[in-house]
Amino acid sequence: MLELFLAEFRRSWIQFIRYPVEAIGGIVITTSIFYGLFLSARYIAGPSLQFGDRLDAIVVGYTLWSLVLFIMTDIAGGLQYEAQTGTLEQLFLSPFGAPLVFVMRAFASLVLRLAVILSILLIIMALTGSRLAFPPTLLLPLLTVLLGAYGLAFMMGSLALLLKRVQQLLGIFQFALLFLMATPTETWAGSLQVVRWLLPMTAGAGLLRDLMARGEALNLAQFSLALLNGIGYFTVGLLIFRFAERSAKRRGMLGGY
Amino acid sequence: MKALEVENLRKTYRYGSKLVEAVRSVSLTLAVGEVLAFLGPNGAGKTTTIKMIAGLIRPDAGRVRIAGVDPHHNPQALRYLGAVLEGNRNLYWRLTPEENLEYFGVLKGLSCREARRRGKVLLERFDLLSKRRTTVQTLSRGMQQKLALAVALVHQPKLLLLDEPTLGLDVEATQYVKALVKAIASEGCAILLTTHQLDIAEELSSSVAIIQKGEIIAASPTRDLIRQFSGTAYTIEVEGELDPARITALQQVGAEVQEERVVYMGSPEGLYQVFEILRPLPLVQVKKDSADLTEIFLKLLQSTDTGLTMTNNK
Repeated sequence: MLELFLAEFRRSWIQFIRYPVEAIGGIVITTSIFYGLFLSARYIAGPSLQFGDRLDAIVVGYTLWSLVLFIMTDIAGGLQYEAQTGTLEQLFLSPFGAPLVFVMRAFASLVLRLAVILSILLIIMALTGSRLAFPPTLLLPLLTVLLGAYGLAFMMGSLALLLKRVQQLLGIFQFALLFLMATPTETWAGSLQVVRWLLPMTAGAGLLRDLMARGEALNLAQFSLALLNGIGYFTVGLLIFRFAERSAKRRGMLGGY
Repeated sequence: MKALEVENLRKTYRYGSKLVEAVRSVSLTLAVGEVLAFLGPNGAGKTTTIKMIAGLIRPDAGRVRIAGVDPHHNPQALRYLGAVLEGNRNLYWRLTPEENLEYFGVLKGLSCREARRRGKVLLERFDLLSKRRTTVQTLSRGMQQKLALAVALVHQPKLLLLDEPTLGLDVEATQYVKALVKAIASEGCAILLTTHQLDIAEELSSSVAIIQKGEIIAASPTRDLIRQFSGTAYTIEVEGELDPARITALQQVGAEVQEERVVYMGSPEGLYQVFEILRPLPLVQVKKDSADLTEIFLKLLQSTDTGLTMTNNK
């Protein structure tokens, strides 16, 4: 299994460095969009505006949204692309089984995605003057967000297997993801609290805002709930993917496009 | 142990309220080192059958065994299977040949080191060593096809599925791929190939299975099939003109004389009487009428309408 992970990592790395314009383009566009929004907000509010830790919270939300989008494109977009180029069926001819191949592929590209996202974050911080804290404990809520993101990505990947063309859907879905990542659900009160724990990734994103933007310590009870949420979405995502694989095989539409 | 055993495969697709039987009770066997040409017109059920063999389409009924293991229940069966399903489309175009070989080797269960070693051996064998560091997208169609074959062989499978392996290749590349297919089979790998180029099928295959409307209408060793459909007429060409006495004698034994050619449609023994009459005239050639696979294929497809099928499984 380690060999498979390394092979997937090598494949991702080669494609990344062989076509650096794509990677650099991704960083520039993602950063410029945020900077454009930031400048617009400052223009509307006037020169006396002080964002305080609210800007930091928005930076965390936006960066997480970018990360989740990358993950979604990697899995669902990747499946659609490979069905188009013809390599998808070869992945299903692996004795490892397709779900394991795709999980390994996802983890292998994560290292690269995290490096790209860190670059975006640092550029945004430099441009906006945002000051975020980076305590080691941030890895824990980040893990819950990643689990949820992969769960959703596998659900979208399942749609890609069955419907093939999910480009439009992915385009619309990114706005839902922006809501999930950027809305400060940790400030919700009353019955909305329950919704917060049920929505994918929002609890982890809230904890990350607490840690990085507000300088608070990690709340273990809240982290446990966020972890449960992440594991739940990841498991459901994989189960749906397995179901989609079986369904595509039954309907004879695995490699078609 | 057989490299491939397929028993009574069935597959029906639903298109809206309509049910279409794509494959009806297909059975095939393939021994080690055997090349089976799996032929049929477009939409006959070839691709569905091949994909059911590879575990990519789940059959409604029937059984597949690759080297004794069922790919639909045990993914380990895929260790014994190599496949080139969509020509050169089973490669990563942004990677080089050696990177593709290493990646797919690991994907098939080899260690990184073993995949690299096998990749090098195959690059050398397939004459791609000089292009090992060129991205696939810049290789010629023929080279891509060779690489696709090499990738399918990287883990030394017992069964190789080739879907139209020579489609779109120029004459030289086609000859090269044909020679490779022969060499791979001679090393003990069983090969199931589909092609619309029936001369290639005739040249490469040791047996033939023809599918029409989801059913096998003929399955037989290639030579037997050709023999069965070949005529019994002999054409003898002689040098110079035949004299009237010889022409009369030839007509008496049932031969027909057409200028410098004698056509005889009798028993092989009677042929020697014809030779006696012709002696001592120099013979240019003696040829027995022989059917080719294209002719047989078309005849069989036409005969299915009358309900005639012909199978001769070994």
